[in-house]
Parts: sequence; C-alpha cells; structure tokens
Amino acid sequence: MITAERKPLAEIKESIASYRKLLILGCGSCVAECASGGEKETALLASQLRMDARREGRSLEAKEMTLDRQCVYQFIDQLAAVIGDYDAVLSLGCGAGVQAVAEVFPRTHVIPALNTTFLGQTKQPGLWLENCRGCGDCKLDSFADICPVTRCSKGLFNGPCGGSKNEKCEVDPDTPCAWQLIVTRLEERGKLSNLEKVHPPARWSKKEGRGPRKIAREDQRT
Amino acid sequence: MNIKEDGLSHAFFFCQQLDSAQDLNRRSLEKELGLRIRFFPLPCSGRIESLHLLRALENGADKVYIITCPEGACRHQEGNTRAKKRAAFAQRLISEFGLEPDRLEFVEAPALPSPSIDRVARDLLAREIRIAPLPWAGKEKKVPKEISRKERRDDYRGEKAPRRDQREHRLL
Amino acid sequence: MNPESRLKRVLFAGHFAVTAECGPPKGADPDLVRKKGNLLKGYVDSVNVTDNQTGVVRLCSLAACALLREEGLDPVLQMVTRDRNRIALQSDVLGASALGIRNLLCLSGDHQSFGNQADAKGVFDLDSIQFLRAVREMRDGRHILGGEELSRGPDLFIGAAENPFADPFFYRVLRLEKKTAAGAEFIQTQCTYNLPKFKEWMARVRERGLEKKVFILGGVTPLKSARMAEYMAKNVAGMDIPGEVLGRMKAVSPKQQRAEGLKICVETIQALRQIQGVRGVHIMAIEWEEAVPELVKEAGLWPRPEA
Repeated sequence: MITAERKPLAEIKESIASYRKLLILGCGSCVAECASGGEKETALLASQLRMDARREGRSLEAKEMTLDRQCVYQFIDQLAAVIGDYDAVLSLGCGAGVQAVAEVFPRTHVIPALNTTFLGQTKQPGLWLENCRGCGDCKLDSFADICPVTRCSKGLFNGPCGGSKNEKCEVDPDTPCAWQLIVTRLEERGKLSNLEKVHPPARWSKKEGRGPRKIAREDQRT
Repeated sequence: MNIKEDGLSHAFFFCQQLDSAQDLNRRSLEKELGLRIRFFPLPCSGRIESLHLLRALENGADKVYIITCPEGACRHQEGNTRAKKRAAFAQRLISEFGLEPDRLEFVEAPALPSPSIDRVARDLLAREIRIAPLPWAGKEKKVPKEISRKERRDDYRGEKAPRRDQREHRLL
Repeated sequence: MNPESRLKRVLFAGHFAVTAECGPPKGADPDLVRKKGNLLKGYVDSVNVTDNQTGVVRLCSLAACALLREEGLDPVLQMVTRDRNRIALQSDVLGASALGIRNLLCLSGDHQSFGNQADAKGVFDLDSIQFLRAVREMRDGRHILGGEELSRGPDLFIGAAENPFADPFFYRVLRLEKKTAAGAEFIQTQCTYNLPKFKEWMARVRERGLEKKVFILGGVTPLKSARMAEYMAKNVAGMDIPGEVLGRMKAVSPKQQRAEGLKICVETIQALRQIQGVRGVHIMAIEWEEAVPELVKEAGLWPRPEA
C-alpha cells in the first residue's frame, strides 16, 4: 500500500488557523491500513482539533467523513452534497487523494494532513516497510524477489558494497543488507550462479523519462 | 477531601472482570455525583480505543481513569497490555495540543479478586492528587442536564451511538 | 608526449608496487594538493585521490589528479557513482584521459548520509561494476553505453576496490571474480588489520586463480592513536580491527601510540609482501601523508625501482 504519516499537529494547526468550519476527510484504503488516515485516525484528529480550539477559546466546527478512496471520482463526488457547508477540507488522504479532491472542487481549500511516504507492506501490526519504488521496470525475478532498487540503500544491481557488515546496511544498523538477503536466498535456492553475469544499468527512463507518468487503456474507457 | 465539592467530572473505563456486580455497586457514586461521574464497563479493557478516551474528555470529563486487570490476569491474554498502549497513545495525543497527559490515568488493579468498583473509584477519587478543571471549562456555559438512569447509556464510545441510517455524512 | 601509467609498468615488470592515498582539501587552494603530492614523490609509484570521500565536499578528484600530473606524479583517479549519472561519469572519464590521467578506480562510494550534505540526492545511476564495464568498453571498444562510437577512447589502467572484511564473506571472492570479468585490472583492498582473515581471503582468491588475472594490492592504514583505532572499529563501515591490535595500541602511553601505529603498519606491509598473489601495497595514511615516506623506507620498499 501507499503509506503516510500524520503531519506534526503544529503544522496542521497553522494551515487551518483561519477556518471555523472544517470537513476532516479520511480515506478507507491505504492510509487506513497504515493507521494514519483511516476513519479512526480521522476521528482522533478531529477530536484533538476541536479540543484544542476550545482550549484557545476559538470557535471550530470539525466534522468527520471518510471516503472509501480519495483518489477515485466515483467516491469524491459524494462530497458534492456537503462540501458547501465548510470553509475548507482537511484531507487525511495520500498525496494522490488530496490532489484528486482538489481537482474536483478547485475553489475549495483542500489541506493535506499527512506526509505521504512510500510503497510498502505491513510487516507486523504497527510496522510498515518500504519495498517498492515504482521504477516501472520490475526485475524482482532476477534478484530472488528482493528489490535492490528499494531495499539496497545504493540501489546496486551487482552488490553488495564494501559496507555490508553483520548482515546490516552501513547506513542504518537496523536495516538488513538487501544484498546479504539476495545472496543468501539465491544460495538457498541453488541459484547463486544468477549473479555471475553483470546486471546492466537500470532504465530510469521508465520512471523519469517523460515527466509524470500515465497509463492509458482504451479497453477500460467507458 | 470532599469529592462532592471539587466540582470535577470523572470518567471510569474498567474491565467488567474486576467487579461482576458493577451495575449495582456503582449506583451509590452515581447518585452522589450525578453526571459528574460516568462509568464505562468493558467486556475487556483491551476493547478501549484511544478515541473513546479523547471523546470522554471532549464530553466534559476532567479526569479519565482506565482500570485494568493485573498483569498476566487478563482473561483474553493481552487485553490489558493493549489498553496500556492505547492509553499511552491517547496521552501523547492530548499533550500535542497542551492538555496534561495525566488527565488520563492508567490503573492496574493490584490483584484479583478486586474490591468493588465503588471501592476502587472512591479510593482513586479520595487521593490528594488534584487535576485542574479542563481549560475550557469556564469558557463555556454548558449546564449538563440531569438524565434518568434509563437514559444513561453504558456507551463507552462516548456518545449515544447513532443508528446507521442516522449517521451524518457516512457512506453505506 | 603521452604520459603512461607508472603503476601499470611497475606491476607488469613484476615489482611490488606501492601506492598511497592523497585526500584533497576542503577548499579551492591548489597548492595544498601540490604540497601533498611532493611529500609522496619518489616514495610511491602512484597516488590515489579520493572522490568526496564519506560524502564530504572536497576539491574534486579530477582537478586534484590534474594538479598532481603537472607535478610529475602518476595519479589514480577515484570515481564514485554516488554523485554523478552515467552521462557525467562517462564524460569525466574522457576528460581525465585528455588531462593525462592514466589510472582509474571505479567505486560505488559511501552513502551520502555520512557526509556534510546529508540532504543530497544519492545518484547511483550505475554501480561500480556497471561502471567498470562501461569504462572498459570505452577504452577497448571505443564506444559509450548504448553503443555510440567515440572519436578517441580513453587510455586508462582500470581498477576497483574490494573489502575482504565485509559480509557476506563467502561471496566476496565471487564478487572479485565478477569485477575482474567486468574489466578490473587491479584491485586495492580496504585497510588490513586482521591478517589471518586477509590470508584466508587470499587463499580463496588463489583457489579460483584470480591472483593471476588481476593485480591485488593490499590496503594498510597507520593508526595514529588508540582512540582512532576504537573510533574506526566502531564507526567505519566494513572495518575489521582485531582485539590484539587495539590492545597493542592501548598498551602504550599516548605519546608512544603514533610510533606503535607505524610499527604495526610496517609489520603488516611486510606480512603482505609474503602472501602469494599480493602484488603491492596501498597506503591510506588519512591526514597523515607525511608518514608515508617513513613507512615505505621502514618496510624496505625504498628506493622505488626504475620502470
């Protein structure tokens, strides 16, 4: 999923300072999975902001609402009926969601409450790890299903580097060395010979070659 | 210290396992303090969510207690550990905007069988530790109306739960 | 007059080579580079210049190598892939050759988080092995990545680094083999304090006949103090300093620690000379280049041979 983390409360407060009626908008997909922007977190943030306003003697009406997804028009359209009641929308969607909502309601101030971070998996409840960088040229099959672009701090395709020690990356002692993992797994599978050839340089054009990317599928269009 | 006179409101979230006769035992304090005391029995303290604690504060509790079974004695193994983490998380959330974290107090019952909830609550209220009223208490002219016992809901989510079709802005 | 690689000549002539490292200054003064170069002149066959080592901004390796070239030294240009994409890397390779630099060491580089520009983007468009291969193709195939022809290829003796002390140990020899196959002609290793481990690595290297395919130079660094030794053991990635070495440094008084550090270094160099397949030594006297002449002399490696 896409992961995100809530911005510091001080930063959020500053961005909503001039508003009296706010719609706190959560998203039921990725950010709910990583406990940053789902229904629960939306309710928590709304409660904090309301109490904070009371503490400061400010008037603030903050109502909560959660869309199944903030990045799909079908769900965003459900806001049309209510959005006029509010001065602004504080969105707990990922960057994609915030932008999509703002696109549908361009005259509404849509404020991000989260910092979108990475593509990752839930390792255990409360722990999410980055494992994909969306390079557009997946080569997991060459590396025993461990992504060197993402999990090697230097993105090496012919690793490890000289800083791998005790199976950890030189950059962070808590981070496993991806190449240690790859080499070990290939050895277990009896496929260490896969590493004999020099893996050629990445094709970054698949990621950055033409600016922001898009996927267009005629067969999917209505 | 006369608990009647300090004017503060208290909320008690507690595991039902501590006092199977809690419904009866808490009536004395409810009568004495009226709406200034709210009891929220839980099937297990692990059911508590940080949101319930924040809502309790929002609804006027100056002090919120979370009372769990002793370590190792949770009927559902980890309920009390979970409750502790969520109480700690809620404390962090309220200190983010300047509320004293000790408005939320996590209490682990020392042993089972526990004294009645009435005894537990009175002992906690009788301590000399004072908390200030909520900072917005004076700023609002809120006068809680008396409600009958029947109208009192043991709704620990901190609100009268709306019917599904009555919820504002919720999607079906 | 077309300069040649002295390092290459010395190695092919069968002599035990001596190279040393020169750290460029954190400033734009060329005289600081010339000074260090002249300290080393005559005591070493070639001088490596590091490339923004540990992600700290310094006078660039390419310029420093050009300055050393002017002083009559044979520089080894170190290039990391951390800071430049393939366009810049290949371009700099052409530039280096045009300036008369004849040795190149291809490295990935320390991660940018270690340096004084921690917010910089780490490029890593190529890794060290892809870079090795690209340079080899530029020189022998006269074309860049993608195949487009060069009007003139670079004239370079190509090397890489290897760390016998990093993990996974069993894979380090296979990696050396890979680097050799990709184009490395000489290797300089991470500095050695753990001789038994180094010997074990060399034994495995010889098992695969690699010492005949690539010139291996063992790295050494003289310890200035017990504190430095402890710092390196704890903080520098890929460093292996055994307890006895630390013990020797701590056993002497602070005033005597420099001398002890130099002594250990000389012993290490002499031990390296005895290991079959080791064709030279690479002295990385970080911020202590003045110690190099003494080390070379004490190790019996001075004067340098005619080549």
